[in-house]
Amino acid sequence: MARIGVDVGGTNTDLVLETAAGVFYHKVPTTLKNQSIGVVEGVQRICEMAGIPASEVETIVHGTTTATNITIENNGSDCGMITSEGFRDILHIGRHKRPHNFSLHFDVPWQSRPLVKRRNRIAVAERIVPPTGEIATPLDEQAVRAACALFRRRGIDSVVIGFMFAFLNDAHERRAREIVQEEMPGAYVTLASEVANVMREYERFSTAAMNSYVGPKTAFYLRDLEARLREAGVQSRLRIIQSNGGVSTVGACARRPVRILMSGPAGGVIGGASEGEMAGTGNIITVDIGGTSADISTIPGHQIKMMNPRDTFVSGHPVLTPMIDLVTIGAGGGSVAHIDAAGGFHVGPRSAGSEPGPACYGRGGTEPTVTDAQIVLGRLDPDMALGGDLALDAGLARRAVEEKIARPLGLTVTEAALGIIRIINSSMALAIRSNSVARGIDPRQFSIMPFGGAGPLHGVALAEAVSARDVLVPVAPGITAAVGLLKTDLQYEHTEAVIIELAGAGPAALARINGAAGALREKVARELDGDGIPREAQRIEILAECRYHGQGFELRAAMPDGPVTAANVAAIAESFHDRHHQDYGYSYRDAPVELITLRAIGTAAARRIAIPAIPATDGSSPDRALLFVRPTTFDDGRTLETPRYDRAKLLAGDVVPGPAILVQHDATTLVPPGYLAETLAHGNTRIRRAGQDQ
Amino acid sequence: MNAITDTAPEVDPVTLQVIRGSFETIAEEMGHVLYRMSFSSIIRESQDLGAGLFDAQFNTLCESESTPMHIGSIPGYLRGIAETLEDGEWYEGDVVVHNHPYHGASHTPDLAIVVPVFHEGRLVGFAGNTAHHVDIGAATPGLIIDVPDVYAEGMLLAGVKLYRKGRPNTAMWTFIRRNSRAGAQLVSDLEAQVASARLGAKRFAELIGTYGEDVVFGAARQLMDYSERMTRQRIAEIPDGEYAAEGWLDDDGRNRGRQLKVKVTVRVAGDEVEVDLAGSAEQTPTAYNVPFEGSTKVAAYAAFRKLLLDAATSEARVPSNEGSFRPIRVSAPLGSIFNPRSPASAEARFTQCNRMIDLIIRALAPVLPETVIAGSSASISFAAYSGLRPSGAYWVFLEVNEGAYGGRPRSDGPDSIDNLMANTRNNPLEDLAMHIPMICDRYELRDDMPPGAGRYRGGIGVVKSQRVLTDAFITHESERHTEAPWGIFGGHEGAVGKCLVYNAARPEEVTEMPSKFSGLEVKAGDVMAYYSPNGGGYGDPLERPEMTVLEDVLDGFCTVGHARAAYGVVVDLDTETVDMGATNALRDRMRDAR
Repeated sequence: MARIGVDVGGTNTDLVLETAAGVFYHKVPTTLKNQSIGVVEGVQRICEMAGIPASEVETIVHGTTTATNITIENNGSDCGMITSEGFRDILHIGRHKRPHNFSLHFDVPWQSRPLVKRRNRIAVAERIVPPTGEIATPLDEQAVRAACALFRRRGIDSVVIGFMFAFLNDAHERRAREIVQEEMPGAYVTLASEVANVMREYERFSTAAMNSYVGPKTAFYLRDLEARLREAGVQSRLRIIQSNGGVSTVGACARRPVRILMSGPAGGVIGGASEGEMAGTGNIITVDIGGTSADISTIPGHQIKMMNPRDTFVSGHPVLTPMIDLVTIGAGGGSVAHIDAAGGFHVGPRSAGSEPGPACYGRGGTEPTVTDAQIVLGRLDPDMALGGDLALDAGLARRAVEEKIARPLGLTVTEAALGIIRIINSSMALAIRSNSVARGIDPRQFSIMPFGGAGPLHGVALAEAVSARDVLVPVAPGITAAVGLLKTDLQYEHTEAVIIELAGAGPAALARINGAAGALREKVARELDGDGIPREAQRIEILAECRYHGQGFELRAAMPDGPVTAANVAAIAESFHDRHHQDYGYSYRDAPVELITLRAIGTAAARRIAIPAIPATDGSSPDRALLFVRPTTFDDGRTLETPRYDRAKLLAGDVVPGPAILVQHDATTLVPPGYLAETLAHGNTRIRRAGQDQ
Repeated sequence: MNAITDTAPEVDPVTLQVIRGSFETIAEEMGHVLYRMSFSSIIRESQDLGAGLFDAQFNTLCESESTPMHIGSIPGYLRGIAETLEDGEWYEGDVVVHNHPYHGASHTPDLAIVVPVFHEGRLVGFAGNTAHHVDIGAATPGLIIDVPDVYAEGMLLAGVKLYRKGRPNTAMWTFIRRNSRAGAQLVSDLEAQVASARLGAKRFAELIGTYGEDVVFGAARQLMDYSERMTRQRIAEIPDGEYAAEGWLDDDGRNRGRQLKVKVTVRVAGDEVEVDLAGSAEQTPTAYNVPFEGSTKVAAYAAFRKLLLDAATSEARVPSNEGSFRPIRVSAPLGSIFNPRSPASAEARFTQCNRMIDLIIRALAPVLPETVIAGSSASISFAAYSGLRPSGAYWVFLEVNEGAYGGRPRSDGPDSIDNLMANTRNNPLEDLAMHIPMICDRYELRDDMPPGAGRYRGGIGVVKSQRVLTDAFITHESERHTEAPWGIFGGHEGAVGKCLVYNAARPEEVTEMPSKFSGLEVKAGDVMAYYSPNGGGYGDPLERPEMTVLEDVLDGFCTVGHARAAYGVVVDLDTETVDMGATNALRDRMRDAR
């Protein structure tokens, strides 16, 4: 039996295959037009490499940017929306805040690129009133039918249904769906109360509209991929990684594609977390550095953190869906260095992309990038990129740095290249701080885990900048994200708005909490049932999202085991006070605490990929892995003769002192002077300051 | 004294960027903690706040990107605190609260909390923030317009220490709690401000610890010089000369029908510019005046930042600090609406600021045609709803309603969005109705009047109808019921705003309200429907592509009749097409008729 992880990125599709015979890695170019072509080819090829028939593959876990790309390229479905009379323009007005304070020529994405055009937003009479959710005006069913007729005439087949206060009572939304299904059989329908059953109309409607916008195309992609795999003789189960890091089925993701908008970067975070487990290091900060951007996530105590749902945006639209807490910044190998009109020295966020790419690619790029600076400094060997498959031109890199940076600033080329690296490292360090220090997390207790092919070139500098403990380099930095796909669990989440002041909760309120918790528990259990997970293997956690009465932002508090009773209800408030203090440095112990939303998270452990151990060193010199020695410039400005080692030939327990560079097919690791790189049991590497305790 | 002197060492460009990034991260973190912790919706949902770090000479080192009216205002507070500080000096562990409009404050509801930052026993700077509070015990709940003087604005706090050497001034906290209709919210939100300011002070001290005082303040000085250089370069691109524009405000909130003039003269000389407000109305006898230091100057600076350093079109982002203000001089005669004499009240100051910015843009239109935009709503709708709960306690709700932009040289004016100096977030209608005895009946683009037609049309204002479920009071601060936003370069003018009050059971019995009114008593079931002004158009409407007009008609941004009358485009709504033959003929006739 075998399993495959497939991670589709902007440039490459990375695959990892795990069988009894071992673990295999493969990389193919991403087929941008339809990612499934490359995926199927890659799956066939990696099976050949492993010498197994495709029919032996039991599960394929897939990370995809299909849904994200629809939002970036703005080519989703023409959607219709049925909403409450008087509130046709909630999606047009948004939160009425501009993207910039100081601008007259700003763009407003939700107006210039609406998820649902105004002509297709049809308001119908109906009214549900707070705080009870009682129906004040019944649904005008004729108006719903008339809207359907208009949608049919306009060729629309994706419909959003979102009514005011439906988080209190979804009867009208459900009835409207029945009518739409009668009138428009086969239409793709999203109920706002189903995708995000929480208060705040704009965010809820936006989430539903995003679901309908990316829905038909994403569903088509997933089903098409499944069919192509079948045609190719691959009978395996296809699972998709969601933004929250859990995997789900094709069917569930086709219905709720809004949950896979961050499928792309999620695999990297999971991969990083499991590399941390493998190394026995609980606290890590993952830095996944690509060509144009870097994804950074802080993982304390092996626990991947989730974003506060109030902070989750995709392409300028709020999307209330669980997402791994990560920050993405425009800093990568292709980030362009430039000097502005007033002499300011910047690196990124603009990227040279893959066309023209960095100057050293020789494809006509003349602007210096981070990759060019690495070459100037001798940290990347132009003849060794992708094992020598990609020839780079050091002369072009040098010229770009000299003409665009060194001369205007009156620096030497080496100084300019060092400046580029320092600025990009500083941007990444600030993003690391915003995702760690800014939340009260002390990086001195954390290891930096850099990956992506160029990631390990930055690892030590980042660790120094944020005072991290040390650096952990994964076994295969170029495909850590793909490996992560084989380390994820099934995961489903559901929420329900349950607005109750905890201190005053009487028997009826407690019954409401317990009833809602029970219903949520059952909902996620049924989804796990559907995946064939026996009940005893299901793990279901209920969280209470609370705030002080009158606040606007919820934090997650723990629920007691078993039913909530008059005796233990105060424990929820206590947990909330603690969390508030931890997050903001202050808590209002005497203020009443209000429960807003109950959230159920159901998981089932998948079998984890086992990365084989490598042989231990026999005490011989690591020089068995020595390739050659070349000059390399380090951050302190010194240029030293620096040996290159073939990372694949290092054995567990080998310690390579800096200055050194560890080279492998798709990644380069920089070990500055004063640091030691120790090869760990699985071929992973820990880099620490010489003399520092392990 | 800190190290901002001309002899400070030059900080290298890389360290400079690192420190700049640290400053910005600290300011954002301060703002983030403040709005997430706070209780009143004007802070937590609207984010009507500002936060930042300052040096010992009150220069801004960094500020959060929250709402523009707060950005650049805190130095005024710091100067006012210096004039009034209890004990006459700062101690470690002090926390000061300040809101006095004749001692630098922006206006009284915006309370500042300031914490001193010490390094090696010396005062080196400040961490501070401002936030708009729901109620500080003024003459009417929430907002005021028709009041006699500044003493009717509620608590006037100047250099008051809420903590001295780390110990709370409990008498002052009790006083504040007792003198507000929303005392619990006010105190909790002040606690959130204190947490935010202390966090900023801690981060500031850490930064100095990491890089050293010389480097941090040297970097700050260089960043100010950088902002100044950027601003001067842009000013120098404007031809030298004197450019003027004027407009009329509706009234002062008491003397109906008596319009108030706003006159703006912009003098450009080399790389410096002066904004002269001479010729504007005398100060008013109501609260409708603008504190000069904390608001007039701040708004004038903001106008040039929008015009010259547009964040959306500039490749380099200019740091938020004093440097960009240095080449700009602002003057307004003492005793005028933009520079009132004490004890005139000066709480309701927003719409005058917004109109001033609108007029600066208009004045520069002849020389910056590709930069300016047509007339915007340049107003605000700031509504205070209040009433009593069965317990006898007050409920008070402040709401900021949006406006619309004028058409622009390359794009339509954005619709229903906070305008110019305003940039808050709206309060979710569902959140509101769960906590306050009010419900919203309508929140949509207004469709009773079209926006200004043009090659690029003006933005469409909002209509918001809020119904109270108990007897209540409403105070409303708004503008532009009488002078519509102008069109420019052939664009048509937009539409004035309006405000209607009626009972939901008798919607035909409508009272049309003036733009400003104070303490209006309303009954349960009464509705206030606010319509914000529509923006003016930019350029000739006959040059707007036919298909764009068709899209507008399909989306209901424009009627078939308006498409024909203003744009000369003949739309067939049944087939959703343009009759090109009829359109060309009509457009020719319209051109000939000019």
